Amino acid sequence: MEDDTVETVSFTVNGLPQRVEAYSSTPLLWVLRDHLEMTGTKYGCGIAQCGACTVHVNGEAVRSCQLPLSGLAGADVTTIEGLASHGGATLQRLWAEMNVPQCGYCQAGMLMAAADLLKKTPKPSDPEIDAVMTNICRCGTYPRIRAAIKRAAGVAA
Amino acid sequence: MNQLALAPQLDRRQFLVTTGVVAGGMALALSPADAASAMAPPPAPWGPDAAQGFEFTPWIEIAADDSVTVRVPNPESGNGTMTQMAMNVAEELGCAWKNIRVEIASIHRNYAENRVYTKGSLPFFGGHGTDKVRMAHTMRLGASARERLKAAAAARWKVPASEITAAESMLSHTASKRSLRYGEVAAEAAKISLLAEPELKPQAEWTLIGKASPAKLSIPAIADGTAVFGIDVKLPGMVHAALKQVPVMGGRLKSFKPDAVKHMPGVRAVIAIDPAKSGKSPVKDETSFGLGNSEAQHAVAVVADHFWQAKMALEMLPVEWDLGSGTHYRDQTDIYEGMRSIRDVGESDEVLKKGDVSTATGKRIVEAEYLSPYGENAVMEPLGGTALVTSDTCEVWCATQDTMQAFWVSVDETGLAPAQVKIHGTAMGGNFGRRTQAEDIRMAVAVARQYPGVPVKTIWTREEMFRQGRYRTPISTKFRAVLDDASGLPQAVSGDLCFAGDRKLFQLTQGYADPPYFNSGAIPHVKLTTINFPVHVLNGAYRGPCFNSNAFITETFIDECAHAAGIDPVEYRLALLAKWEKPWSDVLKLAAEKAGWGQKLPRGEGMGIAITNWPMATIPHFGSTMATVARVAVSKDGVLAVKRIDIAFDCGKVANADAVRAQIEGGTLFGLNMTLNEEVTIRNGAIVEGNYDEYPMLRMGDSLPEIHIHFEALSGHDRFDLMGELPVGPVGPAVGNAIYSATGKRLRATPFRKQDLSWT
Ligand code: FES
Ligand code: FES
Repeated sequence: MEDDTVETVSFTVNGLPQRVEAYSSTPLLWVLRDHLEMTGTKYGCGIAQCGACTVHVNGEAVRSCQLPLSGLAGADVTTIEGLASHGGATLQRLWAEMNVPQCGYCQAGMLMAAADLLKKTPKPSDPEIDAVMTNICRCGTYPRIRAAIKRAAGVAA
Repeated sequence: MNQLALAPQLDRRQFLVTTGVVAGGMALALSPADAASAMAPPPAPWGPDAAQGFEFTPWIEIAADDSVTVRVPNPESGNGTMTQMAMNVAEELGCAWKNIRVEIASIHRNYAENRVYTKGSLPFFGGHGTDKVRMAHTMRLGASARERLKAAAAARWKVPASEITAAESMLSHTASKRSLRYGEVAAEAAKISLLAEPELKPQAEWTLIGKASPAKLSIPAIADGTAVFGIDVKLPGMVHAALKQVPVMGGRLKSFKPDAVKHMPGVRAVIAIDPAKSGKSPVKDETSFGLGNSEAQHAVAVVADHFWQAKMALEMLPVEWDLGSGTHYRDQTDIYEGMRSIRDVGESDEVLKKGDVSTATGKRIVEAEYLSPYGENAVMEPLGGTALVTSDTCEVWCATQDTMQAFWVSVDETGLAPAQVKIHGTAMGGNFGRRTQAEDIRMAVAVARQYPGVPVKTIWTREEMFRQGRYRTPISTKFRAVLDDASGLPQAVSGDLCFAGDRKLFQLTQGYADPPYFNSGAIPHVKLTTINFPVHVLNGAYRGPCFNSNAFITETFIDECAHAAGIDPVEYRLALLAKWEKPWSDVLKLAAEKAGWGQKLPRGEGMGIAITNWPMATIPHFGSTMATVARVAVSKDGVLAVKRIDIAFDCGKVANADAVRAQIEGGTLFGLNMTLNEEVTIRNGAIVEGNYDEYPMLRMGDSLPEIHIHFEALSGHDRFDLMGELPVGPVGPAVGNAIYSATGKRLRATPFRKQDLSWT
């Protein structure tokens, strides 16, 4: 990757315009964490497996470790830091009320994935939850994540 | 290097100011809602290194706004230990729960102030957070602070303190209808010394412990992204390091060519770590388990402005290793073979002997060999830490399970006097034993020592974590039982167990030598041995160390005995537990009853049961005991579905029922993943698996079982015992035993996913 070039790209994060100069291969994950110092988005695997790095780009949940800076021009990014004002407040409240997280490291990604699910599928069935909530939680909080999503959606547990 | 000019000591306030400035600078162009969240500086999760504010003890500070900060030496790992400590304090302090905050206590301060945080509360792990000693200690701190608040109010009002009540953060004098908030008298109260410390209130008067189930205090910051994990620490001037340790453990660095990558963007330094250059603590360490398992590994690292730059340069760095003698293990089966042969011919230690196994006379013999493989903790937050080292100071920000260990490892690596070293504990993205020895913190300090005067954040990639684990200790055990002709129960049991790995600390016999079957007299003749097969792959603590394997092995073996005797596995275990304390039988019966044990199931479906205790089954009314029943369905072509799990347990009493429930849910899924999926494999001495694509983890779409947790078998014995490790033990053998009853296939090794479960 020695021929990787450094480039400058403009996009918005949680409504705020940003300009970042870095290797064009730098994943959005590290752009957020290192260059913009927004560390709510987590590194877990770097290969699209764990989902800890999930953010919304142009309204879609994506794994930010897979999206290089070069593809970000003009993008509208929402991170966990901006979730409350982008429709996630109910989920965040239920996460606390229902004691969902254990260590919490996977939970930013879980919340971002869950918010995207509910936006597109306001009353998800179990298979619909399974299809979208593919993130890894080593602490085993899956039963509570499912219960909290269902309560937020107002569907029977 | 000009970075030496940087202020070497960044205090906590500076951390807050720095992050606040960053956020404030960004806020200019924000919408009001975003601005509100961006403006709030992330709260530092660690406590101060010296007294501050209105402190009643270094453990408790009460501010004018009534907020109560409880400083806890045991960092939160997800099991609620800090919240539990705060509950203990609040129970006696009588403050409103909404006013409670927690911070990770400073171990620097502990050292400077006569071990104020570690007397009465070992600073390691979380799981022991509800035990009797810590509970009483923290309750006494709360009670003392409450009486001092009363004394301060009494002085103001000129009434006897005994006429004042304290509740919900309010002090009240009913006769004169006066009241004060705690915060209003905190300054005076903090200066008062009591002539005599108050008695603790009787349990019957508790309002929080055992009554309420507050969610973890850590959650709001987790849910809005402001929690500061180890990987999230931000400091002025901080740089990043990527690390690569020798791919085969025990190997060394031969050569590397820094010049090949020095010119790459952002790269500041390319360094080699040589364990021989580690310092040495100038004084005897005060760790719980010693520093012996925390040694540095030969490694190279790249320091750069940003992590991605460091990682890219490290990947380009030409490195030659001398891989050492570990390479002669072509794959893990060579190690398993070595374990078997040393177990059969080597000189073993006898760990339990009752009667004389050679005198047993029954005709039915049950004999089998079992194996559990290497496993990786796979904590979600990568290891690493941020360290700032100068010629005479060292300051570290890190996620650690044991702040004391992290502190002494940093002292040891730098060789500095303990008074010169500071550790700031952060939120922790999982541990499961992986953050007990702090060798990752040693590596971070070793890197920072070579780039002094600048805070360096070292992050392990996921690949580095998988390949440089301190793995679950593999265990190979051969069991033999001679069944009594009349009763079908074993007259004699002999067991020979082999551990792989050199690290004695992680060669434990829980679940092997301590079950009541072998110790209560139920089996008259028992002989159990252990031996160790030395191997270069480093073993370590993995949730319920060794117990997680032994539980599988012993509870599968007992099941085999039951089937050989033609006796129902629940009845068989009850007969073996007849001479032991009743809670075990109660737990077993409840789990079976709730699961609908004994019902007729179609071929291909089955139930299995297992019962275990952690951390020590041989002591009556000690630790926690759990029975798990699994119900499975196996299709003819061998696809397994674990449909339902029923769990009953006894830990004496329960302090926070929802916290216990969460641990049982999570621990059961952890144990299920361990049993179905997990094996770290070896090729030419190196670890093969590098990431989650090669090391599958259960996800929500993997038709996870319904988990039913039953509290009715709690004995009420006066203890609040631990629940973190235990659930990992019984689920695996329960599933394996269920597979046997569904298909007739006996699984004697994990992971199950690598075995053929098809049946005809
Ligand atoms: S870090 Fe992106 S999916 Fe794991
Ligand atoms: S809560 Fe710990 S990894 Fe999910």
